[in-house]
This record gives sequence, structure tokens and C-alpha cells, in this order.
Amino acid sequence: MDQSAERFIEHRVEGGATVLYLTGAWRLAHLEAIARALAGLGLSLKERYVVDGSRLRELDTAAGFTLFRSLASLGCTEAMVSTRGFDARHRRLLALVHERMQCPPAEGHSGHLGFVPRVGAAAVALAGLLRTHNAFLGAVVLEALTLARRPRRFRLRETVSQFESVGFDAVPIVALVNFLIGVVFAYLLGVQAQRYGANIFVVDGVGLAMCRELAPLLAAVIVAGRSGAAFTAQLGTMKVQEEVDAISTLGLSPIQVLVIPRLAAIVVALPLLAFVGDAAGIGGGMVVAALQLGISPAAFLERLHATLPENYLIIGLAKTPVFAAFIALIACRMGLLVARDARSVGINTTSTVVQSIVWVIVLDAVFAVVFQYLGI
Amino acid sequence: MESVLEVQDLVTRFGAERIHDGVSFSVRRGEMVALIGGSGTGKSVLLKEVIGLLRPAAGSIRLLGAELWRSSPDEMNALRRRFGMLFQDGALFSSLTVAENIAVPFRENTDLPAELVSALVGFKLSLVGLAPETGAKMPAQLSGGMRKRAALARALALEPEILFLDEPTSGLDPVGARAFDRLVRVLCDSLGLTVFIVTHDLDTLLSVIDRAIVLAHGKVIADGPVEAVRRTDDAWIRDYFAARA
Repeated sequence: MDQSAERFIEHRVEGGATVLYLTGAWRLAHLEAIARALAGLGLSLKERYVVDGSRLRELDTAAGFTLFRSLASLGCTEAMVSTRGFDARHRRLLALVHERMQCPPAEGHSGHLGFVPRVGAAAVALAGLLRTHNAFLGAVVLEALTLARRPRRFRLRETVSQFESVGFDAVPIVALVNFLIGVVFAYLLGVQAQRYGANIFVVDGVGLAMCRELAPLLAAVIVAGRSGAAFTAQLGTMKVQEEVDAISTLGLSPIQVLVIPRLAAIVVALPLLAFVGDAAGIGGGMVVAALQLGISPAAFLERLHATLPENYLIIGLAKTPVFAAFIALIACRMGLLVARDARSVGINTTSTVVQSIVWVIVLDAVFAVVFQYLGI
Repeated sequence: MESVLEVQDLVTRFGAERIHDGVSFSVRRGEMVALIGGSGTGKSVLLKEVIGLLRPAAGSIRLLGAELWRSSPDEMNALRRRFGMLFQDGALFSSLTVAENIAVPFRENTDLPAELVSALVGFKLSLVGLAPETGAKMPAQLSGGMRKRAALARALALEPEILFLDEPTSGLDPVGARAFDRLVRVLCDSLGLTVFIVTHDLDTLLSVIDRAIVLAHGKVIADGPVEAVRRTDDAWIRDYFAARA
């Protein structure tokens, strides 16, 4: 049947009352046409309306609701509308619709704010987060002091297992990335150095850059992406499943059980990974030096030994525990901040990675300035 | 009355394990039927097969006159618009408000103007007994009972002919559970809905159900009005009803 031709409703005046004859299938699928038909009748507030359902084929709640709604919008009260001719099933449906329809339209959209409110909201949220980060740092320090007084409560097994996944399992990827950066760095440096016949200075450059800046930074970024995200996801999932609350009710401190082992593992692991990175990066430089610049590995190592100051290596490695502590604290904090829905695990994990990488780079810049002032 | 759901000789295998071994039953229009059975008898698996989420190993499922597992993807989707499904924990989309959740089926399947959709959403909320303010909340802010009601409103959005409910009263307090049962019964009677419930809630069974189907050992071991099922001579059924006395 051609539904568009169907009229759905006719009206006639019979004995002082306006009778609305409903026809055809009053279903959600035709709701727009029904709403148009109702509006097209040009009804006005009358004394009495009778709704006749004797010609009706089908009726659902959406259509029934639309009918009553348009009558109500004319200002009709309950006493002014009566029904007749509906079969028993439709009558029950209309009765239910009528009973439940005293309701304003539902609003509530998950907000799409304008630019300025969004910047404002983000700034307020960021300030709140940084403030609570401080509070969290305080709580962790207090728990660590408690632990220092009772060292037997330190969870060695958990720490070692975290160390394995944070440190040991990350060795291949850290080595690979640093090796490649060493290759790229030595190659680009070599292209310039060759022009001046200063090939041997590539060794100085690679050694200095890898040890002092690149290896610690790359190791920290990889650990932030790899282990920081994992910490947040682990703790967040535990939070969703109320495991964190369970730890508290067992009389344990979630910070001692969950945060401190992770913090300890990462603070130990990151300097070691950075050292692996140093070696791999220098190895990459050595390969390029041998193949492109004609510096044999033996000559490379000799030159490195002669020119790379020991304290550069130490400065590079000394920065990493600070990076590590920031990553661990941010990751654990974001994990424990997860709300009781699965979505916030994802949101907080993303936030952890972004925050910790930004902090690592900010800290690196601060170190560079401070070391400059101290003349190291 | 016509059958809206007919299951014939259904077989389900997970690896070597036979979950269903020739399950047959039918559901007539306007009936309120419960599928019961102990844990691990494959009730939820059967439900997934009936709503087209999991393909059975053998057997036929006729849903609303169409052979479900021989339908093309388009036919299957058309069929899906004709039934509603309430998942165990509601399965509301967590990034949308309650009102937006209920509006999703309208927005995806109709071209109604926004003003009418928001009026219909308000009506659906009221139909399942939720206050209009609930619409502005996020699913995570709702209690378990409210979440189920909101999910029911979404399942009812497209005026389904059949409503499938998976453990609708699990996790609700007894008062909330009975209120939910009554709500579903009222909807079933008033809207002419066919309701198919997977449950283990005995109170639901005794208070609102027309007929119970009992699944055990991969087969239907009893099928009939609750009183008749109760008298069936089977150890599990005896224990199940005895838990009440």
C-alpha cells in the first residue's frame, strides 16, 4: 500500500463534538506523516473531542503519544477528550500511554561546549589535577616513610615482578630504538663532518648526544608509553572491579601494596634501560662510522674513551630516576582516579601517556638549565 | 495465535562439548515466556542464537516468520528492528546521557524531527517509570535498577514486537525486582508485546510468567504453565522449586 497517500486521520463534527477518525497503521514508521496530518487538520480548542478507533488497523505507543500530545498542546484537558470504537488491545495501549504521558520532553545532551568554556573547563580541570597530584605525592612519601620504619612490609616479590615487565621486557625495544637513533645521528653528523675531513669528531658527537640527552630521554618516553599506560590500565581495572577497596578493607594500604612496588621497580629499571640505550646508540654510531666514515670500531672506542667525559654519562643516567618517579606517580595516580565505568580507564590511560611524556621533556629542559648554571 | 519464535532441533557445540542437543520450543504472540535452567545449561547462549549474535551448529530458528540464520545481513537487520533486547547489565552506551542512549534507535532508524524525538524519549522514560531528570544523567550515575529501566526504554524505542530480557532482575533488590516484573507484565499486556525472559529468579516465574521452558542436559525437559512445570518429575526442577518452600 502506498503509505504516503494514506490520510491517517479525518475529522467531522457530529452533534456538538468533533470526531477524529483514525485510519490505517498508526505506527512509528509513519510517525512523521501522522504528525503532519495532525498539524494539517488545523484543530482548535473545542468543547469536546471524540477519538474514534473503529477504522484503525494498527497502533503503537509512539503514535498514541503523538495524538495525545497534539490534543494536549491545543489546551484540551482530560475531560474534553473521549475515545470510542477501539478494540480491546488498542484501548489498553492508549490507557497506558495516557497514564504515563504527563511528562515534559527529555533534555540532556552530553555537552558540546563552545571554545572559551572548553578552554576554561580544561584549565580548571588541569589545575585541580595538578593540585591533587601534589596531595598524592605527599601521601606516597608518608607511606614510604612508614615503610622505611618497617622494611619487612616492603613487597619484594611484587617489586621484582614489576621490574621484570618494566625493565627486563623493555630491553629489546629500548635497544632497538636507541640503536636506530645512533645510526641516524651518526649518519647525519658524518655527512657534515666528511666535508671538513673531521670524520673522527662524529665519535665525540654521538657519544655526547646519546649519553647526555638522547638515551635517557628515549628510554623515559618508551617506559612512559609502555609501563605508564600499563600501570594506569592495571590500577584502573582494579578500581572498576572494587579490588582497590577490597585491599583497603583487608587493612592494607593501596599505596603500599600497589604504588610503591611499581615506583621502586621503575626507579631502578629506568637508569639501567638508559644505560642499555647508551650502549645501543653508541653501537649504532659505530656501525655507521665503520661503513661510511672509515673509522674502525677499535679507533672509535679509543676516541670515545679519550673524549667522552665520565660525568656526562653520569649526568645522563642521574636524570632518569627523577623521570621514572614522575612517570610512576602520574600513572598510579591516574589509575586510582578511574571512575566506576570502563570508559574512564581508556581516558585516564591516554592522559597518563600524554602527561608523563610532557613531564619528562619539561624535566629534561629544567635539568639542562640547572646543569648550565652549575657549570657541569 | 501465531508463533513469533520457533526453535527446531537446535544444536550448539563449543569444541567437543555439546551445549544444546536438539532444543525445540515455540513462543506465541503476546505470551510472556521464561527460559530457566541451572548455570551452564546454555540459556544465555540460546538467547544469543535467537537474536542473531551467535550461529548455532544445526537446527532452525524462525523469528517473526523468517528463517533467522538463512537471512541475508540486510534481512537480519530489518528483523532486528522488530525486536528489543535488554542485556544483563543494561549495556547503555557509557559516553552518552540516558536521553541520548534512548534517542539512538530513533536517530539511526527514523527521520523524525529532533523536537519529536526528545518528546518521545521523555515519554519512553516515563513509560518505564523513570523521572524526566534521569535523561540528563550519564549511565555511570544510575543505580542498577535505574540502569535496567533506562535500557528497557531503549529496547522499547522502536516499538518492538518481541522483547528479549536476559536476567532482568539479577542485581536488583526484591522490591525493585518485583516492580520491574510488574512493569514488564503491564507492557506485555497493554502493548501486546511478546516477552521472552531468561531468568533464574523464581519469584519472577511465580508472579508474572505465562509459561516456563526448562533447559537441562542440552534439551528442553519441561515446557508449560508454571504449575505444570513444577510437578515435572526431575531432580533439578524439584530442587529449584523446593528452594522456595
